[in-house]
Parts: sequence; structure tokens; C-alpha cells
Amino acid sequence: MSTDTSHIRNFCIVAHIDHGKSTLADRLLEITHTVEDRDMRAQYLDKMDLERERGITIKAQAVRLAHEGFELNLIDTPGHVDFTYEVSRSLEACEGAVLLVDAAQGLEAQTLANYHLARDAGLVIVPALNKIDLPAAEPEQRAEELAALLNCEPDDILRISAKSGQGVPELLAAIIERVPPPVGDPAKPLQALIFDSMFDPYRGVVSYIRVKEGELPSNARVRLMATKVESDAEETGVMSPEATPIDKLGPGEVGYLITGLKDVHQAKVGDTITLAGKNAATEPLPGYREPKPMVWSGLFPAEGGDYSELREALDRLKLSDAALHYEPETSTALGFGFRCGFLGLLHMDIVKERLEREFRLELIATAPNVEFHVYRNEEVEVVHNPAEMPAPGTFEKTEEPVVLATMLTPSDYLGAVMELCQARRGEMVDMSYLTPTRIEIHYVLPLAEIVFDFFDQLKSRTKGYASLDYEPWGYQESDLVRVDVLLHGDPVDAFSSVVHRSKSYSYGKQMVERLKELIPRQLFDVAIQAAIGSHVIARETVKAKRKDVLAKCYGGDITRKRKLLETQKKGKARMRRVGKVDVPQEAFIAALRIDDSAKKEKK
Amino acid sequence: MTDAGIYVHVPFCLTRCGYCDFNAYAGMDHAMPRYLRTLLAEASLAAPAWREERVVSVFLGGGTPTTMAPADLRSLLVHIQDLYSVDPSAEVTTEANPDTVDRRSLEALLSAGFDRLSMGAQSFDPAVLRELERVHSPDSVRRAFGAARDAGYMNVNLDLIYGAHGERAESWERTLLETIALAPEHISAYALTVEPATPLGRRIAAGEVPEPDPDLQADMFALACELLRDAGYRHYEVSNWAKPGYECRHNLGYWERRPYLGLGAGAHSYRDNARWWNVRPPEDYMNTVERGDLPIGGSESLQPEDAYLEEVFLRLRTLEGIPASWIDDDRALPFLANGLLEEDFGNLVPTERGMLLLNELVLALAGN
Repeated sequence: MSTDTSHIRNFCIVAHIDHGKSTLADRLLEITHTVEDRDMRAQYLDKMDLERERGITIKAQAVRLAHEGFELNLIDTPGHVDFTYEVSRSLEACEGAVLLVDAAQGLEAQTLANYHLARDAGLVIVPALNKIDLPAAEPEQRAEELAALLNCEPDDILRISAKSGQGVPELLAAIIERVPPPVGDPAKPLQALIFDSMFDPYRGVVSYIRVKEGELPSNARVRLMATKVESDAEETGVMSPEATPIDKLGPGEVGYLITGLKDVHQAKVGDTITLAGKNAATEPLPGYREPKPMVWSGLFPAEGGDYSELREALDRLKLSDAALHYEPETSTALGFGFRCGFLGLLHMDIVKERLEREFRLELIATAPNVEFHVYRNEEVEVVHNPAEMPAPGTFEKTEEPVVLATMLTPSDYLGAVMELCQARRGEMVDMSYLTPTRIEIHYVLPLAEIVFDFFDQLKSRTKGYASLDYEPWGYQESDLVRVDVLLHGDPVDAFSSVVHRSKSYSYGKQMVERLKELIPRQLFDVAIQAAIGSHVIARETVKAKRKDVLAKCYGGDITRKRKLLETQKKGKARMRRVGKVDVPQEAFIAALRIDDSAKKEKK
Repeated sequence: MTDAGIYVHVPFCLTRCGYCDFNAYAGMDHAMPRYLRTLLAEASLAAPAWREERVVSVFLGGGTPTTMAPADLRSLLVHIQDLYSVDPSAEVTTEANPDTVDRRSLEALLSAGFDRLSMGAQSFDPAVLRELERVHSPDSVRRAFGAARDAGYMNVNLDLIYGAHGERAESWERTLLETIALAPEHISAYALTVEPATPLGRRIAAGEVPEPDPDLQADMFALACELLRDAGYRHYEVSNWAKPGYECRHNLGYWERRPYLGLGAGAHSYRDNARWWNVRPPEDYMNTVERGDLPIGGSESLQPEDAYLEEVFLRLRTLEGIPASWIDDDRALPFLANGLLEEDFGNLVPTERGMLLLNELVLALAGN
């Protein structure tokens, strides 16, 4: 039974990581008695253990709260820049957004970016300062900053403590009062937006949807307009917070749909669900976008024999991850594997970790690269594997993707931020003072410069105060070169990377220096070279090993000695032979590892 | 009858040296009489199974056997000669520390039948001796060596260690030249090997001293090869040189995989592809034997592939090498080409460079 739309409120919470979104969601579940006290646990909605460990929310979820006769749908939004598109679809499912800001830390770039997304989507903003009970909280100052940004009065900003529950009932009241009810006509053809899809091993694809127009009965035959797939609905329902079947979803309502489809690629985020047959809508809802990988990397099993296991694991993972792309790749150094496309480094990290944890695979990931364009004979080739980069001099020009980066920084660190952006080949677009001490600054930056350690550098140069968000901004011409790494004269394809010419020397130097430490001494001198085409730009040598023998070997030593040799033999068996050089697995993993410090930025 | 050797382990030492991981103890001299009785008892317990072997060598090692009185060592040897078929021309060695011997004790040992003396000189550089925590001085080595000659010893080995922290090639060269000047029949020169479970190993792990530099040790090895060859010594095993005819028969037995019986705490024995070893703590060892049991602490039976690997890595340590017919040509050829192996009357023999890279050679030749 559908609810009268005047009693529906659909809202999300826009917040920076650590600003208390999950804690607020917990309090809302409690106060509305959606979860009984005895069942309550922290970060209730972050179901997957992977998410819980990383402290982030990968999958948006919608949960229905019943409160004083109102049906409140809390739509959770992903909290990372890798998932900006998913955020925008979640926002499309709402009429309002709680803008949650840490009363000690103030506004961060990501929150600002999502606030802009929410405002652009026409959402009513309900601002709230969280953690007002912390000693470091400065609610008055933060309220003024926020009021200036939102063009409202500081008094309109709620003060809460999601942890203690202080102010949360007032926030609920404000949501009901300020967020408008959805509008929609039950008589119109069905248009329902998919804002998230996940794969359940028992039920198949579960899509989170927002009905815009029309009604979705639980037994309807549905049509997915972008993928043109039809299927019978198996179940419709709402999460409160566990799945609760209902017989139909009406206009303005948020819930889930189980279709019996077995692959999330058939029910992608942003697609429109309508009814099959004569009652179908003629137009899909606007804004659908194919998920587009931004970062590519080769994934290879550390043990060559695990290739088919890796393929099966990727096939399984893909069922629940519509953004994951992969295609077979063969490396002379690493054997058979897959070139995989990810939304960003965090996404790559999550996929790799799930493959290793859930499928018990040991993987080598090659250096990630962005997708670039090569113009040859007036034709453009899209290249996402360094191996496909043509030889120098055989093409006219290259282009690389750029992003529009939004950074917020205290004005004291403006110089440091600008310096970093210049060093990363950035071009300033504009900057403005949010408050007398806080600056919003925009740069167009090559994506390749952003995806690795940029955020880390930004944080360290601003003592942690600056924040970052970015969005795709097309392609621009760029002087890209492929740097190859040669061992004893043989190129090792796994170490090749396409970089801007100005960065080629530092990449080459870093790789040969790392490898010098990682490649064990062999029976001959091993030259490690970095080269562009035939031009060597960096070189190191691993000197030949001269001594590897046990000095003493008498009656009591022989057993131990034999076991040492067997251990050494096993170590050799785990090496990969590149030309004449034995390279340990660990060397591939360590040489290609992105600095741990660079990973933290992804959270 | 097959030729066999008997090894007797004496775990007593004046002091423990920082690099040593042998089953050896300082300050335990009070246990000597009981340990000697136990050795005699173990020799009796083990003897019935070894009646078919002709014992061609007896070797007292440690520890420092010469911390025990010559009369005790004599009674031990007499007991062994009574129980086993010891060949009249057997090589009978005792290890010695320069500070534990003088002319009189050496005369007593020689007349008891210990006709070969192996002395731990280690270095003639006082700084290196200090680094190794050896208590003796270069002079005491010269004095003890002179005493051995005066006592009538015609077959003396000096042990040397190179590559200790702070030792440079020049110092090692002086040690070699001083050793050569004494003209012992046999010289063992060992690259200092760091065992983790030693005071030295812990100091290195803690970063207090650097690990030995393998390249410097390789240079020192090459220097030893050169100087000792020029002085008329034959380099017959990785770390052993001898005047012709003075190769250590007992140790050759290990590398040629002849049977050996080990007596004493922690001693290993080997026969017919079986190896077993005594319990290591002297107290446990003595208690077990006193109950009338063989003090075996562990054993292994060598599978054919284990035996083959041992055969290859032990024989390749020596100038004899292994028959070329054992190894596929395509495995051996690269090493014949790069000068780590040479062929000598149908045998593959490591060169001096090859000896230093023996682990690599063995894995390449006998690995699968």
C-alpha cells in the first residue's frame, strides 16, 4: 500500500568522512525505534565487513524510518570521490539533504562538493553542526561560516551531538518541516530511478530505487530502459532496516526491487525502471551515465597457475560491481592476467583486497595508469595499457584526462597549495574566500597527477587542513611518453608506464633505484635501465654475487645445510625469470606498490 | 668392512666466543669427570652396532677437548680402541686451544695416540682476536705451535677466521703470512659466518655491528687461495688447505659420505642413508646414558632425492667434485663457460670462484 506523498520525506546526509554520518544514522534508527535497542550496533547500516574495517561506505543504502506518522527515507551516499556519480544518483532520489559538518573541523572540500551537487539537484539543505559536545568544537564560528555559505542565518543551523543524541529529535523535526514531500502521479507510466544495485548470492540483483512517477507492483514485469533488459519483479519492499516486502511502491517512495537478474550490469546505477508492454514510459529519467573506469592496472596472479581462479573471481565480483572492467592481458614478465579498469585508486584497492581476501588469491598489480588518447594518422586510439603505446615518433600527439579539482584551505596555506598544484602541472581556474581565513580554489589538473599521492601531499603541506574533491573535466593535449624498464637489456613490460615527459626521469629513476634494492644479486652484473624508446634515462647495476657458500660443513652441519638448500630452492621456484634475470615475486609487488602513505588519502 | 670415523664431542670451553653456536659451555668444568664416564658408557652402548666398520679416524672436537686432562683423553681413546676396530694407522685428531696446552701436555697427548693436532689460532691480529672475543694472543699461538713441534707433532692444523668486523684485507694478509711462516701441515680458513642465536648475531640484529661484507670476504678468500697455493698448500675443500698427503681423513669422510659415529652431547651420526643425533644439553645427555639408553634426540632417513642432494653438495665442496655423467650437459655447460666449474678427468670440479658460489651451483645442477 502506498503512502500519501505528503507524509513522505526523502533525504540524505552529506558529510565528510569522520564527521559523524554513520553515527547520526545510528541515532535516527534508535530514536524512531526502527531498530530495537537490543539489536543496535554501531555503524548499523555499513553492512559489509570490508566497509566497516575501512570506515567508509561503499554502497548506498536506503532505510525507511517511521516517525510521527511520517515515512522518512534516509538515503545513504558514498563518501569518496571515486564514487561521485553514485552520489549524484543518490541525491536524485531525495528532496532534501542534511549537511552535517564537524563543529571542530568545519567544512571540507568533499562536503562542499557534495553540497554543490545537492544544491544543483534542487535539494533543500538542512544544515547541522555535529560533535558540539567536543572540547575543540567552535559551533558559533562554524555556524557563521556555514551561514555565509548557505546564505542563511546562523540560527537556522542545528547543533547536535550524534554520539549522545543531543539535538537529534530537533533535527528530525526540522527534516519533516523543511524538506518538501515528493511529487508524482500514480496514474502516469512508471519511472523509477536505480540509485544503487547490489548482488545477493541468494536473491540475485537487488536494486535500490526511487519511484518518480507511476506505481511499481511487486509482481510487475519490468523493463530497464538503458540496458533494454526485461524481467519479472520477484519482490518489492523497503528496508527498515531489514528487508520488508510490500506489495507495491508508489510515487515518491524509496525501496528495493528484486528482479531475479543475475548480473548487476543489467541493472546499473542511473538506469530507469518502467513497466514492460503498453504501459511503458517513453522517456527514461535524465542523467544516466555508463560507469567509466578512470584508472587501469594489470592484475596478475602471483602464482601463474591461479589464472583461471582469478578469472572466476573477477566474473563473480563483476556481478556485484558494475563499475569493474576487465579484459585478458598477457605480460611477458607476469604471464596471463587481466587489465582492469577502476573508478579510482580506492576502487582498485577494494577490488584487489576483495580478490585476495574473499578468493584467497595472491596478486601482483602493475602500476596504475589513466586512459589516454593517441593520435596517429588523423585517427584517435584510446589506450589504457602502456604496452599499446606506439613507439616514439610514430604518432602525432597524445592527450590525457584532466579533472577540475576543488580545494578548500586555510588562507595561511594558499601558497603551499598553489605550489603543489603548479608542480603537478595544474592550471588555476579561480579562487574565492569563503570566509576571511578560508579559501576555495579550483585547478584543472591532469588526472594522472591526482590519483597517486596528491592528496597526501596536500595534507602534509597544509598540516592536514586542506581538503580536496574533483570531477572529470575532459581531455587535454599532453606530451606523454612510455618509460620502459630493462633488466639486463630485456624490457619488463610490467614495469612500463606512460607518464608526462617532465615526469619521465623521476619515474625512471625511482623504478631503477627501487629495483636495485629488490633484485637479488645474480651470478652476473645486472644492469637496470629506464628508457624512453632506445634512449636510456636512468641506470643502476646490481653487482654480481660472489659468495654464497656455507664456510663450515662437517658431520653435525649436513642435515641443517641440506634443509637450507631446500629452502633456497623453494625461494628460487617462486622467482620469475625475466630474460636471464631471476626476479622474486616480492620485487614485483614492492616495486609496483604505491606508497602506503599515498593509499591513506583514498579514505 | 667399510671405513668409518668416530667423532667425540667435548662441550667444555674456557670462555664462550661471541660468534660460536657450537654445543659448548664455559664454567661447567665440574661436570668433566661425570661427562667422561658418560662418554665411556655411551661408547660401550653404541659399539655392538659398529663392529663391522673399520675406524680409520677418530676426532675429538668441541668445545675444547684439551680443557680435559691428557690422562682422561688417553683413557677415552684406549676405551674406544678396545671397543671398536680402530685401524692401527688411523688418524687421531684432537682440537686444542692455544691457552690449554704446553709442551708437557702435548707430549702426553701424542704418546696417548693423538697424532694430529688442530688448533684454533683464528687470527694473528690482536684487534681481530678481540673482536672475535678470543682470549688468547698471537704470541700464545706461536708459543703453543712451537710447543707442539717440540713435543714431536708432525701434523698440525691451524684454524683461521676472516671477515670479522673491522678486519681489512691487509690484516688478513698478515695473518696468512704469519701462518705460512709457521708452516703447519694443514690450514682451515673460514669466512666468519653469523648465526642468529649467538651474541654476535644479536649484536648485528640490533645494529651494533655491521654484517660481514660478503664481497670483502670473497676478496679475502681469493687472497687465501693465492698465498696458500704459492706456499705449497693444496686447496682440497672450500675452507681447507693441506700440504700434499696431510688432508684430514676424518673430515674427508663427511664429504665423501662415509659412515661416522658421533659420541657425546649433540653429536651426529650417519650410516646407510640414516642420520641421527644425540640430545644436545649435556645434562640430558648424561642422564639418558646413565639410565642405560642410547641418548638419541632425533633422526632422519634420507630419501633418494635427499641423498642425491647431499652427495652433490658435499662432493662439490672438494677437489674431487662429482662425476660429469651425473649432470645433464645443458645444466653444466653454462658454468663450464662462465668459469665456475671445470672438468677434470671426467669429474665436474668447482673453480675457486665456483667454490664461493657453491649454493648457486648445487641448486642449478641438482635442483629440479
